[in-house]
Amino acid sequence: MSLMLTKEDLAKYPFLKQSAAYIESMQLNLGDLAAEEYSGILSKALMRIRDSIDRKIRPVDLSDPESEIISYPLSLALVYGSKSNWLLNRFASIEAKRVEEELRKEPGDRILEIAKFGFSWEIERVDLKLEYEELPFSIPLQSYLEAATNFNDAHWKLINRYVKGGSVFLNSGSLARLISEGFKSKIIRRASEREMHNFRIPDTLAPHMDEILRYAQENMQFDEELPQGLVSDARPPCIVAIMEDVKAGKSLSHMARFALTTFMVNVGESVDEVLKLFGNVADFDEGKARYQIEHIAGMIGSRTKYKPPKCDVLRSFGLCVGMDQFCKKAKHPLNYYRTKLKILGGSGGQTGARDRKKGV
Amino acid sequence: MHEIVRKEFSKYYSGLGAEDFQVPDMPHREFAFLQFGGEVMIRHMKFLDPASLKEYIVENTPAHIYHSSAYYETPEATDMNEKGWLGADLVFDVDSDHIRTECKERHDRWRCTECGMEGAGFPPESCPRCGMKKIDTRTWICEDCLEAAKKEVIKIIDEYLVPDFGVSYSDFEVYFSGHRGYHIHVRSQTFRMLSGDGRREIADYVRGIGLDIKLHGFREVKNELLVGPDMKDGGWRGRVARAIYEFVNRASLEDLKKAVSPAVAKSLFENKDKFLKNIESDPPYWGGLKGYTLESIEKIASASIKDLICNIDERVTIDSKRLIRCPNSLHGKSGLRTLRVDYSSIDDFDPLKEAVAFRHGSIRIYVKEAPRVRIGDEELGPLKDKTLEVPLALGLYLICRGAAEPR
Repeated sequence: MSLMLTKEDLAKYPFLKQSAAYIESMQLNLGDLAAEEYSGILSKALMRIRDSIDRKIRPVDLSDPESEIISYPLSLALVYGSKSNWLLNRFASIEAKRVEEELRKEPGDRILEIAKFGFSWEIERVDLKLEYEELPFSIPLQSYLEAATNFNDAHWKLINRYVKGGSVFLNSGSLARLISEGFKSKIIRRASEREMHNFRIPDTLAPHMDEILRYAQENMQFDEELPQGLVSDARPPCIVAIMEDVKAGKSLSHMARFALTTFMVNVGESVDEVLKLFGNVADFDEGKARYQIEHIAGMIGSRTKYKPPKCDVLRSFGLCVGMDQFCKKAKHPLNYYRTKLKILGGSGGQTGARDRKKGV
Repeated sequence: MHEIVRKEFSKYYSGLGAEDFQVPDMPHREFAFLQFGGEVMIRHMKFLDPASLKEYIVENTPAHIYHSSAYYETPEATDMNEKGWLGADLVFDVDSDHIRTECKERHDRWRCTECGMEGAGFPPESCPRCGMKKIDTRTWICEDCLEAAKKEVIKIIDEYLVPDFGVSYSDFEVYFSGHRGYHIHVRSQTFRMLSGDGRREIADYVRGIGLDIKLHGFREVKNELLVGPDMKDGGWRGRVARAIYEFVNRASLEDLKKAVSPAVAKSLFENKDKFLKNIESDPPYWGGLKGYTLESIEKIASASIKDLICNIDERVTIDSKRLIRCPNSLHGKSGLRTLRVDYSSIDDFDPLKEAVAFRHGSIRIYVKEAPRVRIGDEELGPLKDKTLEVPLALGLYLICRGAAEPR
């Protein structure tokens, strides 16, 4: 039996196809929304974005569900129009968290409906009863992997789930989280679609856009730039281990080589410095190595500066050598490095970093 | 490489029918080739049908032939971003090189290029004499290695793909790689669109990476009161329960001591029957032994699952754009065929016999050095510095391995 979806539901869950259909039925033009008569909607949309910058999870305002529903696509348009990845990620995370909080208040059958209408997941009610635990839902393996690989906690790893016959079995809390994560990915994925590349906000909305960007700028926590040169003491254990292997002349796996090179390049080491590292490796070929390092540093080829793989990936490739206290909080070797730099002294500015540099 | 190898490869390919070059959904695959003596892969080739692929191969006689695990809109595009990825098969690569078998003592050698120390068997992580990691290896395969690889294939399929992932027996194909092991190609839609991250989860799942048994129902309710899963449960939950049961059932006191403290091991060993009965009961009970805690179970679990985790080359599974050997192509380092294996009779499959491509003729070779080798029904070695006449398949095998030269 299908449950009825109310306007309040559409306001709470903007990813439902019914929400999109509702908005479409109103035949609104993005540029028109700057007009006086829609000022309530516009201010709601702006508040949504400011909330996300402030990491504030505001419950859905159900006193006026209609403007709540329309404020979502407007805020989304402004976020896409800003072309800021930082803002996009922040907005998607907070919107997703809000959805998760709403979902946790819903009964199981309702969560199931929402999942079905929001995504093309074939979720089923199974009511699997285990010892001291119940798993009422099952989701196809591929849908689970699509949504859950963004989570880093151990309990989201497939191996730690109840997997049988191509399905993953979940309790309602996990399903709520999965839906909210699916929503978040949807927002982020859409931004990288081809048609979004040329998306521009209509001129009428431009002043509001400037306001948002200014607010975002003020709140970006710290500059993502790292100091120009390696601070040995701040290296994560995985990188230390690879460097020791290099010193012992071990012929490194492709992934180890890639991790080390990207790490060094991202902490601001020069190509020559990185080359020196590899000088002792059994199968060293300087010409080839230089070419590859320059490629990774974004100096040649695709001009993308590559980042090291995240902790999860390093673990899968057997390059994680065990965690220390900083690893527990980090999901990425550069995260680890940044945190430790801060603790080692100062905010990791350019001066001082060089001074602290030790031989490797 | 010697001209004779190229000539024999060419003859082999000419003798095949066009249908032997069939690859599922050919027009959407990228093909790649490595020529004899060539270092650069010829890539981004597209073939619309098996006949045109055959024509190319017969004309160029490559040493190695690959197709992409991925499906592309434009497989011939040279920029990977322009190919238009449409999904990929899920591939498992089992390589006997990565499996520690006893036979490696007989046929593998390693050498430290720093200090010259040498040894037999599985290569050490670092040189026991100088501590450096500049280790060169010279490895061979034998029936035992390939049998170990076959067991891994069966484990992946029967223990994981079918019961846990719901893959049906018609959704995958198993191939002997033509040299050291096997490939499993899973073609079901379930996995086709999986990202690299999703594939990594699959690889971690079969390799036992990141397993936390506390997330599978093992809990300490009160002091020494332990609850846990049922052996009938699905996935890793039931698997861990069964593995611990089997391990404790078979374990000697010494085995247990290797996993847990001597006191716990002793208590467990002396109360084995009761412990196992408790696990069998409904609901199962996992405690009741003095000093036996959740930590003890975790230690026993990690000792128990050693035989259940799969030895695969995880890079192949994770990569959604991998190049894989073409069916019926020859492996340039062995002269053996990449051959589809009927999974229902895999137990009887003898790769060193059935993958032989050159069934007639003989060749005179000079063997520098080789361990005992069998190809088909012919056995040879170990031998060194010897010139002799051997069946063609065996001779080409040794030449391709770099251990012999034609005379």
